[in-house]
Formats: sequence, C-alpha cells, structure tokens
Amino acid sequence: MSTAAAPARTLLERAAGEDAVREGTAADAVGGLVPAAVVSPVDEAAVAAVCSAAHRAGLALVVRGAGTRQGWGRTPRRCDAVLDTSRLRGVVEHAPGDLVCTVRAGTPLDELREVLAAAPGHRQWLPLDPPQPGAQTVGGLVATAAAGPLRVRYGTARDLVIGARFVLGDGTVGHSGGRVVKNVAGYDVTRLLVGSLGTLAVITEVTVRLHPLPPASRSLLLERASPARLAALSDLLRTAPVVLSAADVCWPDATARLRVDGTEEAVDEQAAALAGLTGARVLDGAEAEALDAALAVRPWRGEGAVAGLAVPRTRLAELLELASAYAVEMVVRAPLGVAEARLPERPEVVAQLRAAVERLGGHLVLHRGGPGLAGVALPAGDGPEVALMRALKRSLDPAGVLAPGRALGDEETA
Amino acid sequence: MDPDVIARLRAAVGAGAVLTEPAAVRAYECDGLTGHRAVPAAVVLPLTTEETAAAVRILHGAGIPYVARGSGTGLSGGAVAISDGVVICLARMRSVLAVDIANERVTVQPGVTNLAVSEAVAGHGYFYAPDPSSGAVCSIGGNVAENSGGAHCLKYGFTLHHVCGVTMVCPGGEVVRLGGAVADPPGYDLLGVVVGSEGTLGIVTEVILRLVPRPPACITTLAAFDSMEAAGAAVSAIVAEGILPAAVEMMDRLTIEAAEAAVNAGYPDCEALLLVEIDGPEAECRTVLAAVDRICREAGGSGARVATTAAERALLWKGRRAAFAAMGRVSPDYYVQDGVIPRTRLGPVLRGIRELELEFGLRVGNVFHAGDGNLHPLVCYDGNVPGQSERALELAGRILDLCLAEGGSITGEHGVGLDKACHMPRMFSADALAVMARVRDAFDPEGLCNPGKLLPTPRLCGEVPGPYRAHPIETAGLAERL
Repeated sequence: MSTAAAPARTLLERAAGEDAVREGTAADAVGGLVPAAVVSPVDEAAVAAVCSAAHRAGLALVVRGAGTRQGWGRTPRRCDAVLDTSRLRGVVEHAPGDLVCTVRAGTPLDELREVLAAAPGHRQWLPLDPPQPGAQTVGGLVATAAAGPLRVRYGTARDLVIGARFVLGDGTVGHSGGRVVKNVAGYDVTRLLVGSLGTLAVITEVTVRLHPLPPASRSLLLERASPARLAALSDLLRTAPVVLSAADVCWPDATARLRVDGTEEAVDEQAAALAGLTGARVLDGAEAEALDAALAVRPWRGEGAVAGLAVPRTRLAELLELASAYAVEMVVRAPLGVAEARLPERPEVVAQLRAAVERLGGHLVLHRGGPGLAGVALPAGDGPEVALMRALKRSLDPAGVLAPGRALGDEETA
Repeated sequence: MDPDVIARLRAAVGAGAVLTEPAAVRAYECDGLTGHRAVPAAVVLPLTTEETAAAVRILHGAGIPYVARGSGTGLSGGAVAISDGVVICLARMRSVLAVDIANERVTVQPGVTNLAVSEAVAGHGYFYAPDPSSGAVCSIGGNVAENSGGAHCLKYGFTLHHVCGVTMVCPGGEVVRLGGAVADPPGYDLLGVVVGSEGTLGIVTEVILRLVPRPPACITTLAAFDSMEAAGAAVSAIVAEGILPAAVEMMDRLTIEAAEAAVNAGYPDCEALLLVEIDGPEAECRTVLAAVDRICREAGGSGARVATTAAERALLWKGRRAAFAAMGRVSPDYYVQDGVIPRTRLGPVLRGIRELELEFGLRVGNVFHAGDGNLHPLVCYDGNVPGQSERALELAGRILDLCLAEGGSITGEHGVGLDKACHMPRMFSADALAVMARVRDAFDPEGLCNPGKLLPTPRLCGEVPGPYRAHPIETAGLAERL
C-alpha cells in the first residue's frame, strides 16, 4: 500500500469496520485506476457511514456490484476506493399477491430469479433479460439500465422499478417511490438513478413490479433475408394482430427472431399469423431455447467495444446499411429502433458511425470501450440539458464523491 | 404587482394575453380541489414555447413566483395560484403538432386534451393509453405534471411510460429538450423526474407521446357480489392466477346506486360489482374471460356478464366514470380521497373504512381501481351542518393512515399539490424529503416555480383549507372527479 493511500483506508475502516475493508489490487482497477481500498459495507447504515467519511475527506468512491459493467460510461477522474455492494444481499420481501418484490441492491439477478421461481403457487418473474446474465446484481442492473430482447414488451428497468432506497455521496439516506405499483407521492428520484452509472447515489434497495410468467412462448426465425425484407419487417410487425415480446434483427447474419408469449392457444394463433405474414419458421422448444441463449450474449461475447444505438424505427433499412458499411455486428430490437453493436476500436470509425446515426435522428452511446476508445465514450454535449444534468449532480453530490466524471465528463463538479 | 413587469409581459406575449382585471383573474383562483384558493395578480396566456420562455425570464428577473396551469381539473390544489404571483395558463396551446403513425409517436402542445390525442389517431388503429376519467377536458400538460393514471393503467402503465420527450422552459427561462422521439437518450433521465413533478421543475410546452396499437380484441364484463370482501377476494384470485386484465374496477352499493340513478348503466342490484376489461389477441381474451368467469363464481359472485355491443360497453364505463359526480344525488357534499394500498389488503382496509364510517357518523362511498389498489373513497357530508366539513376531512385523513399502515401511498394519481404536502412526512423521512428538495434546487434554485406545492413547508402546514365547493366545470357537467 502506498503511504498516500493509508489515510483513505484508515478512514474507511473507521466508518465501516476493519473487516469490511481490504487493500485494492489491480483486479479492482476502474479504467486503469487502482483503488487504495475496497470497502464492502455490511448494511445501508454502513454505506452511509462510508459515504459520509468520503465526503468529509474528499475521497472518490466507485460503486461496484458484480463488476460486469464497470467500464460503462467514461473513466472516472479518480477512484480512491471501490464500494462493493456484495454484502447488501438478499430478498427483503416478495409479495406475490401484489406482484412486487423488494430486494437488496447487491443481490445477484440469478438469486432473485430463483426466489421468484420458488414462490409456491405463483408463477411470476421480473421480465428483464440484460446481456451478460448470471452474476450481475440488481443494483448494477438498475444503475446501468441494461436491457435485452424482452424490453419490446416489458420495457426496461425504468418501467419496472417502483421504488428504491439509496445513499447520497454525503451519506444522506433517501428513499422514493414505494411498494405499491401506483404511486405519485413526491419526486420520482428512483427514475433519476436508473442509468445514472452510480454517479448520483449508491442504490441500497430496489422494489420492482413483477409480471405473471406467461404459460407459453413461441419463437420464429426468419433466415437469409435480404436487407430490404428485414427492413420491411418493422412496418409489417406494427400492423400485425399480435403482441410481440421480442423482435430482433441480427446483422451480418441477416436473420430475424420473433417471439410471442401468452396462453397456449394465443401463442399458436399468433405464431401462425406471424409465419403467414413474414415467412418466418416457427421453432420447436429446443431450437427456441438455443436461440434465446445465443441472443442473450450478442453482441457482448468476450472483449471488445459495444455501443447502444437508437434510431426511429422507420430507419431500420439505413441502420442495416450502416452495419454493413462499417462491418459492425448488430442486434436490433426492430419495433423500438434500438440496437446493440460491436464496434471496431478505432475512434474515427466510432465518430463516423455516430455522425451517421445522428443524421438518422438517433444517437450512439458507447457502453463498453477499450483502450483505443478512451475519451469517446458519451456524446460530449454542452447544451442546456447537460447544464441541467450537471446542476443535478452538483446538488446531490457537491463534493464529487461518486465516480466523478463518469457520467458527464470533466466539468461536472464546479 | 409592478406595472413595469405587466408592461413587459404584455410586450412579450401580446396585450390581450395578459389578464389583470380582478374578475378575469379570479377565474384562475383554484383547480378541481376547490377548498384551496388564492387569487393571482396576473394571468399570462402564451401561444408558443418562445412566449412562455419570455414570460418566465421576465418573472425570474423580477423574482415573482408563478404557477403553470392547464385545464385546472387537478384534485390536489397543484395549480392553485400564488397570491400576488402569476398564473401561466397553457390552455391556448392546443395544437397537435405532428402525427407519426409509422413511428408510433404524436407531438402535441400541452393544452391538448387527453381524449383529443386518442381521437387524432383513432383512424389509424391507435390510441393514447393513460385515461384519467376527466380525459375529455384535462390537458396533456397537466397529465405530464401529475403523472396521470386512469382505469387502464393496470396493464398499460402511467403517463411516465407514455411520454418519450418534452420541451420544457426551465425556471431560469432556458428551453431544454428532455428525452425525445427515439429511445434511450444519453445522460441522466431528467424526463423521468419531470413527469409527476407537479409543475415545480419547469413548464412543459411540447410533448412527444407514444401511441399504442388498438388490441386485436377487447371484452368488457361485469360481475356482482354480495360483499366488498368477496369482490376483493376475486381480484386477488385473478392476480394470483397470473391474469393481467386491462382494467379492474370495483364499486360498492352506495356508488352503484348513485351511478345507476345518474346514467342507467344497467348495473345489478348488489353490494359490490367488478368491472373487468380484458384485451389482447382474440384467443387469449377468450381463455382469460373463461378464467375470470370461473374465479368470480368461486368467490361467491355472479358469473361474468359480457357487454356484447360497443354501446353496451360504453354504458358500463359511463356508469363507472359518472360515479363521482353522481354522488351529488345522494349527498349534498363529498370529498374525494386518493390513496393506495397493496391490492391484497383490500379486505382489511375496507373493514377499516366501515369502522370509520360508524365512528364519524358519515357515509363513505367506495369506487376504485381495484386492480392496482388505488382507492377513491368518497366521504359524504353536508356542508350546511356546522363542523361536518371538518369532520369529513378528518375522516379522509384517517383513511390515509389505513393506507400507510398497510405499506401504501398517500396518492396514486391525484398528486400531492397543496392538499397533501403536509402529509408527505408521514410517508417520507426528513432526509428523503431533503433529497427531493435538493432535486428541486437543481432545477429551480430561486424557488419561483410553483412554490409551496409537493414538499411540505411549515407555513402552509399550519393552514386549513376552506370548505369544499363544486368547481364551475363540474357544475356545468363538463367533468367528473376521478
């Protein structure tokens, strides 16, 4: 441990207890910044004590769940310690009759899924299928607003989180929303935390609304389709008498996967309608499962830069042309105009692609960069909207304790 | 008010768009919750974002507080004027700016009514999902401010889930665009906190809404029960079976009788009825209808009675929508409460309300969005009997206690406004309220944008609202309370 780091570690030990703090190592680095310490608070009060101490001492903390998306956003300006949420674990309450569940932020998504699946007599789920499934935590999922194919029907964390408890950078413990689905009391601070990359508050507890698990599901596959045929899908699906759960167009494979969920009769009826309309083939259970698994990791397999793109749904044809022109692997949620793309790690290519997407009326946000893409993470932006975002960051985290610079860049604290 | 400020406002928006005559500004003294009143010094009626921004810049420079207002149908005093302040009324900004069916978006000015959005796209097979009962008159701007709900929010979500982007005039007069027509805008989700902020973070002057395709099939049914508890048990059983209907509404005998007397909806003579709407693919609707029918019988109710024609369906809903106004037939006055409970706690909370009726000697009608636990108890009283108005308010407050004791909320869709700001500390810790105040500071450091609403202030919490009175648009039969 370096001598400069000693005070940080001592302060954190005093706040959270000696056994909650260990020395940071290269494995804990955030964007190349090796933290002096990793602190794993045992509960929300300990999180508050840690934040309060960091605020007073001018330390910068970077929150970490499972660490699967630690690279999202910009590299923080500083990282004196990593605040690890793994001990904030467990389901606080599952109320099946109310279709809600309250869970601590450090709970792995898989653990939550098991608890929900095990509730006797109730078939419920949290219909979020973010990339890199498995170890990721519920808090991390909310902080990154990560979502997968099922967002077409069920939305993202933004639509499913109904309340949260959290700790600001100065140790203030806040809460908003609640445990009922319908609720308009107070500002929806929870919404601000969704996708905030851990820069506004440390999420300690989340309440989500659940959905009934559909009794049946059918997937269809359209293969070797021309770009024109794929592009026409968007409008075809818009007017089809079906309720889609997912519709993913994959490039360069030139395939499309469609999925409907519901009662047995309804999914058969809809699958038949879709097959007739699009020429897609209805898959059997094993094929559908394999396809789900394959799509869950695309285009996130292994290393490499991954970006989120969004365009109006009517610009699908142009988006696929871009994918082709820039040799980009892409999965597009066709009804939403949202795509995830694996990019070459060349800043000039990212810049060109971003400009092209913006000409289509959309935008590109780099989720996972690489050494070659440092500094091109997010749209720079200096409009009044960004000024307002900076004002919010200053108001909630005046000392810049929480991952300073990660969400908005260098000027976020005055 | 400083005549120079009035002169500059007139220069910015036109002389005819600034009202200062006492008789003219008095029309803006309250919203749908008429017990709270304050007369503004002036009313500004802008036509564009630029005019709104110009007015806000003038008021900001002069340090004068202002309140944005749409149709004024709110039920929490959220649009009540500030004495000697200014009301910025957006009712004249009522153009549908763009309809983009292929992308399922519509862009409107804030004064467009909720129903007008659905009407603008109905020919294309689309609708706008949030459906507050005042939809025919309430404005989209007001819906955004209150994160409005409605009967169909059970399945389709609230205003928050249907607003993609807004243009907003910030309290300092800057114009920002939050969100947009395209998904996943980068940066913090400021739009997420602006929706439902009750006009305290800025003035929304343009709104991009998401359109929803009309489902292939839609079935409206009704089931009668001989107790509210039995109807509540049926709701729980429907949820437990994994059924998510488009709407589940419940009415008790008092409100059924009132609605029947008002619109002859053909409701059965019973203690409680459930109105269930099912929509989706044809085959699914048939299966779900059979399940709902079975569940209702098993819970001791009648089987599901299906509305077979569009006219029948409309009549069933008309009765439900008219329930509030119809209470005027059985009681000289009433106060509408808005609270939320976990839907599994319907039974105990309804029993608690019955006990309160006995304790206070006042009748309470129950009509509510049972599917999502949003109660709208109607506390009946006679304002001419000394003390009854105060007792009715006290009873209504005690109902919120029941909601909070069950882990619920003090408001499901009407908002906090002026009326419930003092109840906020019962639901949120002092620190949690301090966080909300810091959010507000980031948007409105000078505290000029609808001050005194949503968050409690010591001064306001000492005040008692005046007696409840019927709102002019209500008396005119233009709107109902829901």
